[in-house]
Parts: sequence; C-alpha cells; structure tokens
Amino acid sequence: MQEIKDMICPFCGCLCDDITLEIEAGKIVSTDNCCTIGNAKFLGKNRLKNPIKKIDGTWTDITYEEAVDTAVEMLLDADRPLLFGWSGTHGEAQCVGVHMNEILGGVIDNTTSVCHGPSILAIQEVGHPGCTLGQVKNRADLIIYWGCNPIEAHPRHMSRYTTYADGYFLDNAFRNRKVIVVDVRETETAKVADEFIRIKPGGDYAVLSSLRAILRGKSDMIPDSVAGVSKTQLMQVADMCKTCSFGALFFGVGLTMAKGKYKNVRNAIEFVDDLNRHTKFTLTPMRGHWNVYGANEVMAWMTGYPYAVDFCRGVAFYNPGETTAIDILARKECDACMIVASDPAAHFPRACVEQLRDIPLVVIDPFETMTTTIADLQIPVAVTGIDAEGTAYRMDGIPIKVKKAMDSDYPSDTEILTRIYNKMLEVKGL
Amino acid sequence: MKFILNTGRTIRQGKFTENKLGQGYAEETSRCYIHPLDLLELGIEEGENIMVTNVTGEVVLVALADEGLPKGMVFVPYGIHCNSVISPCTHGTGMPDYKIHEVEIAPTSEDRKTPTELLEQLGGVRYAGN
Repeated sequence: MQEIKDMICPFCGCLCDDITLEIEAGKIVSTDNCCTIGNAKFLGKNRLKNPIKKIDGTWTDITYEEAVDTAVEMLLDADRPLLFGWSGTHGEAQCVGVHMNEILGGVIDNTTSVCHGPSILAIQEVGHPGCTLGQVKNRADLIIYWGCNPIEAHPRHMSRYTTYADGYFLDNAFRNRKVIVVDVRETETAKVADEFIRIKPGGDYAVLSSLRAILRGKSDMIPDSVAGVSKTQLMQVADMCKTCSFGALFFGVGLTMAKGKYKNVRNAIEFVDDLNRHTKFTLTPMRGHWNVYGANEVMAWMTGYPYAVDFCRGVAFYNPGETTAIDILARKECDACMIVASDPAAHFPRACVEQLRDIPLVVIDPFETMTTTIADLQIPVAVTGIDAEGTAYRMDGIPIKVKKAMDSDYPSDTEILTRIYNKMLEVKGL
Repeated sequence: MKFILNTGRTIRQGKFTENKLGQGYAEETSRCYIHPLDLLELGIEEGENIMVTNVTGEVVLVALADEGLPKGMVFVPYGIHCNSVISPCTHGTGMPDYKIHEVEIAPTSEDRKTPTELLEQLGGVRYAGN
C-alpha cells in the first residue's frame, strides 16, 4: 500500500490541495480529506479501455491511431466545427485546443457559457473586485453566499475558507464570522446561516438595488417589501455589511441562470463597489468545474476572449449569445463537434442534444458518458489528478499544479489532442 | 397546476457524475422536490409520479416533499430529465433559463425513464464493451 499526500482534487473550483490517496496494485483504494463528490471522482471505475467508433449504429473497438485519423477526418470535413468542454482538463490541453480551432476556423467554447458566462459579461462591464480565498479565510468576518449552495456544490468551501475555518486575523472565527445566505429556497447552506434572505424568483436585481439605495442613504425610497424581502431585513443586512471589517460575497449560478442574468451580477459587483466606500468587501464567483477558470485564462491570453471564441473570420471573434455553444446548436449551425472533458448530453437543453446527435461527434473522455451514446467516436484518456498532470486555476484565479498519482497506458488530453493537431497540420500541408 | 421550475446541483447528483448512466444518477436526477402544501393541492402522495410539461417538452419525475421550497416552485437536480423541458433560448446571453422556467405539473400513471432510455429515445446507443 502506497500513501500519497497533498494531492489536488479535480472536481470543483475549490481545487482542495490536501488530499491523501492510498494506492494498491495500481489502483486508488481510498481517499482522505475528500468530500463525498471528490471521493467518488478518485474512486471512479469503468473507464473505457480503448477508443470506440460507431459503425452502422454499433460500437466497434479501434486503435488510437485509427481514432486520431477518424477525428481529423470528421473535423476537417466540417464547415462550422464546434470544440466544446475544456473545463475538466488541464491548461496545457486547452492551449492545444485553441491552436486546433485556429486552423479549423471553428468555434471553441468552454462550459463557462452555461455557468458563469454572464458573470464574465458583467466583469467585462464593471470589473472584478476579487481576492484570494486565503484572504477570505484569514480576514473576512462577514460572508455572503448569494444564489449558491456550497454544502451541495462545493462541499468543503465552508470548512476550508469561511464558516468553519480558522482565521489568522480573527478571534474565534467560528463564532464571530457571520454568514448571510440569499436564495429563493431554503437550502442546506441557508439552514446554517446567521441570516437567511429568501427572495422571490427573479427578484435578485431588485433586492441588490434596494441594498445599494440603503447604503447611499436613500432608505426612505424603499417600499415595505422588495421581492418578498421585508424592508426591516434589508436595513439589517445593509447594516451588517457596512459595519463588518472585511466582507466577502460569493455568488453562484442562482444569479447567472435566472431572470436578469449578467445584469444581476453587474448589480452585485456595484453593490460591492458601494460597500467599499464604507469598509473592505470582495466578490468571487463560485466556479463549478475544477478548471473552468483555467479555460477562461487560457482562451483569454491566447485569443483575447475567455470563451465562445469564433475563428471563422480567420481572427478571433466573440459575441456571447451568437458564438456560444447553446446558441450555435439551437440554430443547427455547426456541422461537426468535438467534446473534451464535458458531458453536454446531460446538461444541455434537449434541442441542443438533438443537434449533437445529428452531426459527426467526437468525444474525448475517460468514461462512457451520456454524450457517448449519441457520439460517433470516443477516445479515452488519462484522468488529470490521477494518471495525468497539468495546470489548473482555482476559483479565485490561483494557478495550481495538479499532480498525478500514478502512471498508466492512457494518453493524457494534451498528448491525444497534440496527435490530432499534428495530423491536421500534416493533412493541410501546414 | 403551474409551477416555476428551478434546477441545480445536489451532492448526490455530483457524486454520480462519473457514472451518469448508472442507477444512482438516474434516481437522483428524476426527482422533483415540491412544497408539501403543493403536493396536497395536486392530490398526490410523496413518491408518486408526476408529468412535467411545457412548450419545450415533457418528462416524468417522482414527487418528493421539501418544506424549504416556496409554494409554486419545484426543484429538480441537474441532468437529462430536467433538460427535457428547458428551452435553448438564451436571450442573447449564451445561457438558458435553467433557474426559472414555467411548467405544468399533473399526476401521472406513467413510469419514469432512465437516462439510457431517454437517450435511446433520441437514437443514442450504449457501448456494451465495458
């Protein structure tokens, strides 16, 4: 039995870096410090053993060489290819994806477009008053979770960085750090909050505007109730925010997927801006996929845009709502697709899944996923954090080296994408 | 009865993300949480099946009580089931309205489908080699 300490969990944007793995006969047999989800990820079984290709409606085992040739043929034959996913792989593989998209003249989009895409639109408008999670842990005496449910989606966020964490500059952090939860339903996170604000669906923008009005001394303009929240509670919360020493607002897709979308996030950022006239306050999106932040970083530094990048003009073009995966699929615009480390058949609206079914579809993923069933080709790869390594960005923008625990015969995402890319260059005579 | 559909992550849904074609994921993502008083108004008991419909599509889910929800809202964990009734319209933002969709809910005697069955309806084929 081999024990490996300080491994990185490749599941959510927390990128927990204190994981212990026990390895026996080339397999991970147990984990320590993981949450339920991370534990399941490390102990995942039933990886595909070899590439598979659908021929006349039946899956057939093929070699990696055949798989690379087929993928190249499918993507080069397309006029409007879409390369989607990327948030579940390391930065080095994302770099290859961007290069590949440039020679294909296609669209490369990551899962940001269906999680915090609207947050990025808001940040592009008014900026991002962020900080590292270490600052929050050690300094913040007030935490707001708005439209997110970390107990279910980021299970160790509260124990590592907020509610249950010690703070270097805080006395008795557990008792003195206050937590406010804002949501449309009473989640598990709301149940442990000091203050729960229940908003009517679609009421986030109005509540944020009301809090901003109170901060600016215009409380006389606020009606007795705003989107189901009493004026008394709004006044109390505004006072808690103003009088704290260091506040941190974390928000989730409750703001980005509801009515108002990026306008909600813009209002949240401006609320934090207003609070900084009274105290120190920061804002951080609760990023879902473990390296979705990295996908934004890589695409932004290589193309100028963080997601939904269209190269059909020969130069990078970005217009969320037009060049985002959901919209391209809903318009039945793309004629071939490669999915890397993502499962859109599970998470996209049915109309988009139907379009994916109708076009040549390549999947690069270690496991049989829902998208596998409607694909034409799948190439299994190593899992970053288990038998592959690379760079990932935590939800606060900190780059972290994700180590591997063992070697395997599977190629990494970077290796297989590089093989596909090199073959494309060869076929195109570049 | 009309409801607002809210979809989101649950820890059990997250736990099965590497085995989405398995029974655990199928069970979790075909759940629909409803306020107990809404269950009463619908005239169904917890554990009975419901048909969720709108202009986009329809899906059969099992109803479970959740007092944390406001009346008039239902919650379904992320997955292929709820996406049967999510419109691909993004209002020019790239993001569908995953958190706020109007749906009609009624009791049904139909059975829930597994993700594999829903995908087979779409023409999907499972790989038998593993």
